Formats: sequence, structure tokens, C-alpha cells
Amino acid sequence: MDIQEYILSGIVESYVLGIASPEDGAEFERMCAAHSEVLAARNAFELQLEESLQKQKLAPPRELKSRIFSEIGMEKNEQPAQIPMRKLTLVPRIGFAKYIAAASLFLLVGSVLLNLYLLNQYKKTIAQYNELVATQTQVTSTNQVLQTKLETYENAISLMRNPLMAIVKLPGVSISPSSMATVYWNTESKDVYLLVNQLPKPVSDKQYQLWAIVDGKPVDAGIFDMGEGVSFVKLKTIPRAEAFAITLEKRGGSMTPSMDAMYVMGKVTG
Amino acid sequence: MGLSGTYTEQELISALKAGDDQAFSYLYDHYSGSLYSIIHQIVKMPELASDVLQEVFVNIWRKIESYDPIKGRLFTWMLNISRNAAIDMLRSKSYQNSQKNQEITDTVYGKNQVTQTNIDRIGLTKFLEKLRPEQRVLIELAYFKGYTHDEIAQIEDIPLGTVKTRIRNALLQLREYLK
Repeated sequence: MDIQEYILSGIVESYVLGIASPEDGAEFERMCAAHSEVLAARNAFELQLEESLQKQKLAPPRELKSRIFSEIGMEKNEQPAQIPMRKLTLVPRIGFAKYIAAASLFLLVGSVLLNLYLLNQYKKTIAQYNELVATQTQVTSTNQVLQTKLETYENAISLMRNPLMAIVKLPGVSISPSSMATVYWNTESKDVYLLVNQLPKPVSDKQYQLWAIVDGKPVDAGIFDMGEGVSFVKLKTIPRAEAFAITLEKRGGSMTPSMDAMYVMGKVTG
Repeated sequence: MGLSGTYTEQELISALKAGDDQAFSYLYDHYSGSLYSIIHQIVKMPELASDVLQEVFVNIWRKIESYDPIKGRLFTWMLNISRNAAIDMLRSKSYQNSQKNQEITDTVYGKNQVTQTNIDRIGLTKFLEKLRPEQRVLIELAYFKGYTHDEIAQIEDIPLGTVKTRIRNALLQLREYLK
């Protein structure tokens, strides 16, 4: 016999509902043992039936449960035990419970207060920390500025200290008698360094330009800005010169010096 | 669905077989409602139905050793115990007597069983309403009155083959209905 056909013959339902004849029932039990599909069909129908009937309850009389329990000799179970296994087996005495409750409350309040205090402390600490970080950043950047300056100075001093340096003083001329500059001229490499002792601060579209006078003619020796503090700058390499002069030129320098804007000039001695 | 939370079906069966009265209490709380409903649909009288339910649970407690999981779920077993006990009640003398009293009451007070009709329209009885009349009468006789197919063929005066076919078709509809 075809198993699917057998399953759909109504035997599953009549067996489960208890209306199959004894012979049909016995055969069905053999089929269940032999064919897992038949067993699965029976299980499925049983579950459906159970689910459906469990949704359609009718409450029996209240006292029936205790009547049943007393009939089977379980008088102790008179109380309508609604899932009694869920109850706690260890029930503390009321006095003890009160003590526990009071202690819990005390601990809770204590914990809240401690938390508030700690939160406050935490906020203060965070503020202090942020302040420290800001200060630290400032100190670091100041330190970097100083470091750079120091390096520049050390560099300048080591250049000035060099015995090969020829020193040419450029005093102020008539338009600016108080001006002063010094040329440090390496006699070997012919590198020219300029130290500004004093020069008026130029307007922003002008720049000072150093000239070397070679055979009576001005030769461009480089333009320079005046930075903060001591200004010691390396300019062009000049192999030969009789004198040096500084004029104020348009920004970027000029091909020929503006003689009426000459601030300092000095002759090379020796 | 059946069992929720506290016991699996296996655990419940083992506990019952071990004589655990808490498990039995759980069984009662969990299943008495649906079993009472089916018993009520068969005997149709609340006092008798609760007598049957009492007998059923006492029998479940006493006969749990004879329950064989191979033959079906615990609920199926309990359902069949309930149905059989209810049908036995239908055929008992005390039932026949109370039926007579009921008939007298009906004659005296006018035949109407409003409350019962409401209660009856649940569970499998509700399913019966969905069947064609000729099928309904056969399921009524087979399931709710407990007659064999042969007896039904005689009562209804139709061929045994027709009884079987109609019952079979009704049962296949039941399967769909429960889905």
C-alpha cells in the first residue's frame, strides 16, 4: 500500500481520536513502527489536536481538584496549588526580611550618595586635567619657539666666531645717521652674512637690498627682511668687493640701487 | 503547545510515574480545562461532567504506569480516557435516569437549553457545525456517542462502506480545520 495514500485514508485521525476499529488500530501501530512518515503524521495531528483543544478550556468546579486529591490520598495538597514548584522553598522569617529590607535601603542610599560624591569629584578632576593639558600645550609651543630662536642665535654666534670672517661695518649715511649694519664676509668661501644693528622698519611694499661695490659699480648682493629680534641673514656669495651699501627698494629688489634711498654704507678695509 | 515552562512532556511523565504529587497538581491545572470541555460536550450535564472528570484524573494517577509513549502523546492518552469515561457515563443507568428527569424538566418548563447550547459551541462541537449534515450525524454517533461503524450503519440504515467514506472525509476535513 502506498504510504501517502495510507496517511490520507483518515486512519491517523480515527486512531488518535479513538474511533478506529481494534484491527485498524493494531495495523496502524504496526505502520507507525515501520514507517517514520506515518509516525510523523500521527505526531503532527496529535499536536494540532492538543493545541486546538487546549485553547478551548472549560473551567471545572473549584472544589473538584481537592476532591480528586483526597480520593487518591493526598489530603496535604488541599490548597489550590498554582504551579507550586515555582514557589521559593526557602522563605525567610518576616523579622529577618525586615532587617534585610532596611539594610538594603540603607546600602542603596549610601551607594547613591557615594556615587554623587564620586561624580562631583570626577567632574572636578576632568576640569583640572583639561586646564593642565592646555597649559602643557602652551608651554610646549613656547618652548619650541625658544628652541628655534636659540638655534638661530647659536648658529649666528658660531658664524661670527669664525676667525675667517672679515667684518665690514656699515654706518648710517645722511638720510639715517643712526642706522647701522655689519657685514660678515667669509674670506675663504666668500659667503656674505648681514647683521642688522639698526635700521628703520620698512613699509610693507619695500625691502632692503644689500649691494657690493665692485670696481665702482653696484652688484646685487641679495634682499632681506627684518625679523623679530636679532637679524642675522646669509645673503649672496660675493667674490670681490671694495664696499657694501644698503638701499631701500621696492619689494623683490631692483637691478640698480636707488641712490637717494641709501641708508648705510661701509668700505672693506685691508 | 501543551506543556509550558516548568515541565517537558518527558519530565512530566517521569515525575508522574514516580508518584510526584506536584507534577500531578501541575497536570490537573494544565489539562483539566480542556478535558472537562470535551467531557462536557459528550455528557452535556455539568454535574455529571465533573463526576466524570474526577474519575478521569483518579484513573490517570492510578494508571500512569500503563501509559505507553510509543502509542501517542500524553494528552492523546488522557483525551481518550476522558472520552471513554464520558461515553461510559452516557450508557450508565444514572445517566439514563437523569436524562429522563431532564426530559421532564424540559416538558414542564419548555424545551430550551440556552446555557448548554452556548457551552456546546466550542471545541470539536464547533467543528461539527462545519460538516455537511450527513457527515455530522456520523461523527456525532462515532465520536460523541461511541458507536462502532457497524452500529452506525444499522442505526442510520446505510451501507457500511458509505459510513466509512463519510467518516473518512469528515476526519480529513478535521485535519484541515485544526491546521
